[in-house]
Amino acid sequence: MVQPAPDGGRGEATYNPGMRPRRGRRQPPPGPRLAPARSTRQGLGVWPFVKLKLRITANGLRGRPARVTLFVVGAFAATVLAVLGYAGFALPGLLGDERAAGMLLPFGGALLVLGWLFLPLLFFGVDESLDPARFALLPLRRRTLIAGLGVAALAGLPALATLTATAGMVDTAARLGGPLAGLAEALGVTAGLLLCVTLSRAVTSAFATALRSRRARDLATIMLAVVAASVGPLQLLLLGLLNRADWDNVAAIATVAGWTPLGAPYSMGLDVVAGRAWAVPIKLVIVLAAVGGLVWWWSRTLEQAMAGTATSGGRGPAARADGRGPVDQLMFRWWPRTRFGALVARETRYWWRENRRRAGLVALTMAGLFLPLTSALGPVTGMAGGMAFLVGAIAPVALSNQFGYDGSAYATNLSIGIPGRLEIHSRAAAHALFTVPLLVLVAVLAGAISGQPARIPAHLGTLFAVYGTGLALMLPISVRAAYALPESTGPFAVTSGGGLAKGLPSLAGMIGGLLGALPVVLAGYLLGTAWTWAGLPIGLGYGAAAYLVGSGIAGDLLDRRMPEVLAAVTPR
Amino acid sequence: MTLPEQRTGQMAPAMSVRGLVKHFDTKLAVSGVDLDVPAGSFYGLLGPNGAGKTTTLSMAVGLLRPDAGQAFLLGYDVWQAPVQAKSLVGVLPEGSRMFDRLSGPELLAYQGLLRGMPAATVDQRSRDLLDVLELGVDNRTLVVDYSAGMKKKIGLACALLHAPRLLVLDEPFEAVDPVSAALIRDILQRYVAGGGTVVFSSHVLEVVERLCSHVAIMSDGVLRMHGALDDVRAGRPLQDVFVQVVGGRVATGSELAWL
Repeated sequence: MVQPAPDGGRGEATYNPGMRPRRGRRQPPPGPRLAPARSTRQGLGVWPFVKLKLRITANGLRGRPARVTLFVVGAFAATVLAVLGYAGFALPGLLGDERAAGMLLPFGGALLVLGWLFLPLLFFGVDESLDPARFALLPLRRRTLIAGLGVAALAGLPALATLTATAGMVDTAARLGGPLAGLAEALGVTAGLLLCVTLSRAVTSAFATALRSRRARDLATIMLAVVAASVGPLQLLLLGLLNRADWDNVAAIATVAGWTPLGAPYSMGLDVVAGRAWAVPIKLVIVLAAVGGLVWWWSRTLEQAMAGTATSGGRGPAARADGRGPVDQLMFRWWPRTRFGALVARETRYWWRENRRRAGLVALTMAGLFLPLTSALGPVTGMAGGMAFLVGAIAPVALSNQFGYDGSAYATNLSIGIPGRLEIHSRAAAHALFTVPLLVLVAVLAGAISGQPARIPAHLGTLFAVYGTGLALMLPISVRAAYALPESTGPFAVTSGGGLAKGLPSLAGMIGGLLGALPVVLAGYLLGTAWTWAGLPIGLGYGAAAYLVGSGIAGDLLDRRMPEVLAAVTPR
Repeated sequence: MTLPEQRTGQMAPAMSVRGLVKHFDTKLAVSGVDLDVPAGSFYGLLGPNGAGKTTTLSMAVGLLRPDAGQAFLLGYDVWQAPVQAKSLVGVLPEGSRMFDRLSGPELLAYQGLLRGMPAATVDQRSRDLLDVLELGVDNRTLVVDYSAGMKKKIGLACALLHAPRLLVLDEPFEAVDPVSAALIRDILQRYVAGGGTVVFSSHVLEVVERLCSHVAIMSDGVLRMHGALDDVRAGRPLQDVFVQVVGGRVATGSELAWL
């Protein structure tokens, strides 16, 4: 989609394919034909970009009630967060607590900036409605493009919400130190928003260029999965440390943070309050220098991002002549040469070779190892075993959209005509090849950390029961609520909106699985020593029975719905 | 390369569809297509982009459930007796509908074993196909990293592996270089000469004119014309017939004078 030139689109004047946009110096030779083109480009401000972004957003919603609902929910959530943020940041001012303000503002601000850095990468994806690559063929100067994309990024819910929330800081500064302090803080908050936007744009643009090959993208997805999976445990750890820290140290760190680009924008008003007005221009320079550096970095990587991602990845380990036949290349040595064996072998390879699946496995492993560890560091050490069963509930979530991972490749199985139950059993078996050893490890770890090795069998029983009931619910969900994953070139690109609604069935399945295994979980808690050895066989039996029922339902459902599943997972 | 055995005396049509209808949301993609593909024919399904060729073939081989109508493959109803129907047919689906995170040999082994073939047969035929199509038995490159032409060739190998009696190919010559295209043409001609039946969609008229014994022309979800190639052409170039049947603009007037 291309915005017409503001001059009303005398196309021949602006069409200029051979010329790359350049900085400064080499201006095109003046001439009667080129003159209108130059004036057009100089006249192109940032507004077309903003209008284009809003138009794309609106078109994305048109005629899709589900998308509109999600957009409204998202806008509502952003409003709530913004208001809460405002209230939180305004609180020290209301209370007249200068010390609390001195800690909350720099830290809170720094957290916001980091949020702008990490949240797009980890969870939400980057809003690619204005993908630089789409401007590659237009005769735009890089400066125009940067300004346009930057302002367009400001015109969005996240920027508005951030501005609203940080306005609470202005409130606090004004209450503590009068209008002048408020003004300084307002200046800082505005600079802070610029910092947030340029930081997130620069980093994602750099990522996009760094991750041109498929291998690099696969690797990055896994790295991010590791980071994402360790955020939760780190948070617990941090809270534990904060509980023990004394506030003077924290205040000292806050003062230091106030001189870094992360905290500087948000502590300017406080400096006026504290009578250090001289610090304001210095901090402003710090922030603007950071913004300038980021813009420079961004403009450096932008041109490469505009060239698009090269599709040809590494050729991989080609032609290693070991003389094995095709069947032996696919299957493991001891594997049965049957349909079931082939299905499981393919699934097993996919769990490792497909980056989204692999990221899921890595995240699950991290959660499985950290959950017992962190709960051991928590207030009650006995919790290590108690919390471990959650891993059994998380594990089946990876199967909640198992056909979506295949995408249109599922057509292969459909055109051959694989019976539903065979399909479901083979997929569950391949998943179990990875997860069952993990569950055993978690049970052993939990028992060892909590200092009760005798309880390991009971833990394992509980884990299997939760895993089995989770599978029983997740497998029918995977048939019934399959959805297409975007065939994206970038690892962070998401189809805008819809992620939440699509994730809901799997969340419901996880909770349902926990509830379904409640008898076994409770028995594990309440029966104590009697459960130590009875727990394993009972839990195993419970889980197996639940699995058989659930997989049977899922298989029969699949037999009736195969073409519908294929249609649902085929990306459009 | 294993050729299918010579088959004779095929009376029933290899593929037969009756009154196929498919809506996508509000758009009518295919409206009431009736088509018989005689056994042993080389059948080209022609049409401009968006004519409903892929949709029709998907419904005929059981990948897409029609809103109305029936599809028979070698006498078996695809939606009533899917196992029998599918076991006799090889399909090359559109685009990248393959498990492309497997290497070529792995993909062939997967296909063969899923078809219930003995492992030794799968190995033998896969080697033959990989050799003939110059994909390499020891090539560990994942199919996702293959070039477009290689992807088509491995897809064709998958469709041929179980020596089906009917091949249904969606755009087999799209994005294929001339050398690979010639190879694919040769394989398909030998297959038909050996008694097999090929149905394929295309919008490359030259290929169709050169290969096919029968053609059908679709546009806007409707079968406009079908029959033996010479009957359809009736002495004119196929290009002229196609443009006349499909309609649409083929020349510019004075609009682009500035170009």
